[in-house]
Amino acid sequence: MRRAIRNYSVFLGRCARIALEGDWRYQAWMGLLTVICLLGLNAYCRQFAHGLVVTGMSDEVSWGVYIANFTFLVGVAAAAVMMVIPVYIYKNEDLHDLVIFGELLAVAAILMCLAFVTVDLGRPDRFWHLIPGIGQFNFPKSMLSWDVIVLNGYLLLNVHICGYLLYCRYRKTKPGKWFYIPFVFIAIVWAVSIHTVTAFLYVGLGGRPFWNSSIVGPRFLASAFTAGPALIILAMQVVRRVTSSSSPGAGLPGAAGPPAERSKRRPATLEDLALLSGRLPEMASVPGEIRQRVLPTAEVLEVPPGDALLRQGETGDTAFFILRGSVVVVREEGGRFRVTRTAGPGEQVGEISALHATPRVATAMAEEPSLVLSLSADALRLLMKSPQVNKIVRSRMSERLLITDRALMTLRSIVQVSMLINVFLLVNEVFKEFYSGNLHDASSKYLFVGLDHHHALVPWIWTAIAFNLVAMVLLVLPVSRSLKWLNLTCVLCIVGIWIEKGMGLVIPGFIPTPLGEMMEYRPSLNETLVCFGIWAFGLLCYTVFLRMSVPILQGRLSKENEGPPEPPAHSAAPAPLRV
Amino acid sequence: MGRRSFLRTSAVLTTGLAALAASLKPLLDMNDFPTMERFLQKYYKEMTPQDMARVLKRIEDEVEQQYGLRPHVRDLKPMDGVEYVYCLNLTRCIGCRKCVHACVAENNESRDPEIQYIRVLRLPDGSLGTDKADHFYASKSVPEKGFFYMPVQCQQCKNPPCVKVCPVHATWQEADGITVVDYDWCIGCRYCEAACPYWARRFNFTKPSIPKDRLNPDMAYLGNRPRRQGVMEKCHFCIQRSRAGRYPACLEVCPAGARKFGNILDPNSEVSYILKSKRVFIQLKEEMGTSPRFFYYFDV
Repeated sequence: MRRAIRNYSVFLGRCARIALEGDWRYQAWMGLLTVICLLGLNAYCRQFAHGLVVTGMSDEVSWGVYIANFTFLVGVAAAAVMMVIPVYIYKNEDLHDLVIFGELLAVAAILMCLAFVTVDLGRPDRFWHLIPGIGQFNFPKSMLSWDVIVLNGYLLLNVHICGYLLYCRYRKTKPGKWFYIPFVFIAIVWAVSIHTVTAFLYVGLGGRPFWNSSIVGPRFLASAFTAGPALIILAMQVVRRVTSSSSPGAGLPGAAGPPAERSKRRPATLEDLALLSGRLPEMASVPGEIRQRVLPTAEVLEVPPGDALLRQGETGDTAFFILRGSVVVVREEGGRFRVTRTAGPGEQVGEISALHATPRVATAMAEEPSLVLSLSADALRLLMKSPQVNKIVRSRMSERLLITDRALMTLRSIVQVSMLINVFLLVNEVFKEFYSGNLHDASSKYLFVGLDHHHALVPWIWTAIAFNLVAMVLLVLPVSRSLKWLNLTCVLCIVGIWIEKGMGLVIPGFIPTPLGEMMEYRPSLNETLVCFGIWAFGLLCYTVFLRMSVPILQGRLSKENEGPPEPPAHSAAPAPLRV
Repeated sequence: MGRRSFLRTSAVLTTGLAALAASLKPLLDMNDFPTMERFLQKYYKEMTPQDMARVLKRIEDEVEQQYGLRPHVRDLKPMDGVEYVYCLNLTRCIGCRKCVHACVAENNESRDPEIQYIRVLRLPDGSLGTDKADHFYASKSVPEKGFFYMPVQCQQCKNPPCVKVCPVHATWQEADGITVVDYDWCIGCRYCEAACPYWARRFNFTKPSIPKDRLNPDMAYLGNRPRRQGVMEKCHFCIQRSRAGRYPACLEVCPAGARKFGNILDPNSEVSYILKSKRVFIQLKEEMGTSPRFFYYFDV
């Protein structure tokens, strides 16, 4: 027991160290976020001392951007975990590691949610009145008491799942199914519940016809499923970018030029396989009979420096094991070359595209005169019948497959479908409000076209609608399969939904008041600073979470390498992410 | 640790702490930090009579210290066999807003920022639609031709949406029908304010201020004792008066006799008579199912 506690504290200590260390870009990013956090804290202290009068809220519009952001972020948190469904129910392996990133995003989003509701309280010093058992908890009548339960429960669930899986990866032990699978399934149901409960906060108010509509719940879910995965698509690309080494591809002339077929080829022999066994001990477990069956399709290449084994974009069904020398893997992204990793003797390149029959995602070329064993996909599969070979090849693959384009495309289809549903539901709502033309549509009128010379929200909502429509069209078109367009689309989705759900849902519910008074709302500077502070706090949390979890998932941070100090992730050990 | 890295670490730490201290500086402006006693104060319904006596004394001390006047704060309980009902005669109301100001004075409502429990709507003859209401009419004299006036305050619903939504039971309906707020228990989430279909609740967005010479020293715990920053308040049928057998201040001041108040459980009360004899009376937003104890009626 004491040993377990010691191990766990070493784990936490090492994670904390990783979170604090980093190159100048990391430090600058963290520094910037800290400064914004402190500015927000300063603004909040002013509010704490003087009251909510420093915000733009009033008795007429008694909830503002705090609750708007809260509502948006509950959606992000819910959607982030729903990534789990494709993985655990449909066994979609592409998203496997994204699940942890998604759950970490959920944790960060929930922390932000809790911060947003706390700053919205008039008497934060009385928070303990909300604690069941100690205070007075109006459960189950008050939807807010439900929210307290579901949000905190959700936080615990996700902290447990992520923490447990990451710690298992760190210790390189297999996670015990009963320790996390049941929680994963609870979290799926729970994710729906947090957002539904948040929708019910509004839906349950009979005195506010704008909210008192049964479509609000489904709309919340649809928009959450659009914005949440969109946010993950962007975040994952940032992770991919900063965790791969970024030395430019200059000095690698072969990278873009025509293939220089100077390599010498010859059929492979049993001696070559023995040579590989020397470099890759797991090969020793392959029985002679299989080695014989592999040989006919295997070749040995003598590759001069600068010669490419495979090229980005090509299709090919061969995988390569390096016997001697070294091979550098270069990826072209937006006209720049990026060395993603270097493979030495015993290591493999090209096996992912060979096994998945997908185009090569990078170019691999010899750095020095190298000897390489080329295997067909079938031959590789034969070798991988040996559990040891299978394990080592798979684990190396998954290290680099942390975030694949395929995973991003799966997310894209989720965003696509959700956005279509979201726009459809919006059309339903708008039709009902305007076609029936009863007196209850005052808030909608105010929101969409302005009412009695008040139209502060009109430009916002139309921006949101335009963004959503453009994003929807882009998502349906094949252009959004390219990452550049997909990123633009995601930004449009996130901004559009943030407005639609925040400014577009919370605030018009108050205007006009139930007694027909028109009073508009504009967030104050102080209120805005608090919001920025909380967003910076959330980003800070998420950055730290990713900073800790990426090396663990890649196997760079594990119990095995506990002894010597961890090399700084950026300079010494470029994190190979993909081939 | 080397000397350089030590120096660097301490420089970073010092800067960080200084920045943190600077961000916390606005807290120094706070003059109303809760004392431990106030922080740990029990919920109204869980206080023993001794607890309540202590709290009432503390409130009296605090008010005396702040306003230089010793108030009399009581914890008045509902009377058996009493359910209060308010009736307002729309034919008689002349829109003078005397009730609004009497209410402010009686109930120690903040003057700056201004808090008022009663909102008088000016409506064109023939319509009860609030979309046509003028909240800020500033006529030289009232009543005006072509308009009628409708004062709106807490409707003391039998089915109050505000009570349902409060996450901490800080607002509830008493046996005599009055919905009250424990100002020392409210966390200030303003959910009740969003839930109220009559826009009857008011929030203390900052520390309320009342001129010292305007303080009404006759106070009740659930009624007009001074509130603090960040809590909700609203009309409570002048609980400090009604539970002591007096009429609410808005009724007493009304020059037109438009306001009637009494016990609906007493068949001989004025309100029982009105509700029995008038053919038409209005419960505002009846379709909400809130079932207000506040009835609007006409002379005819």
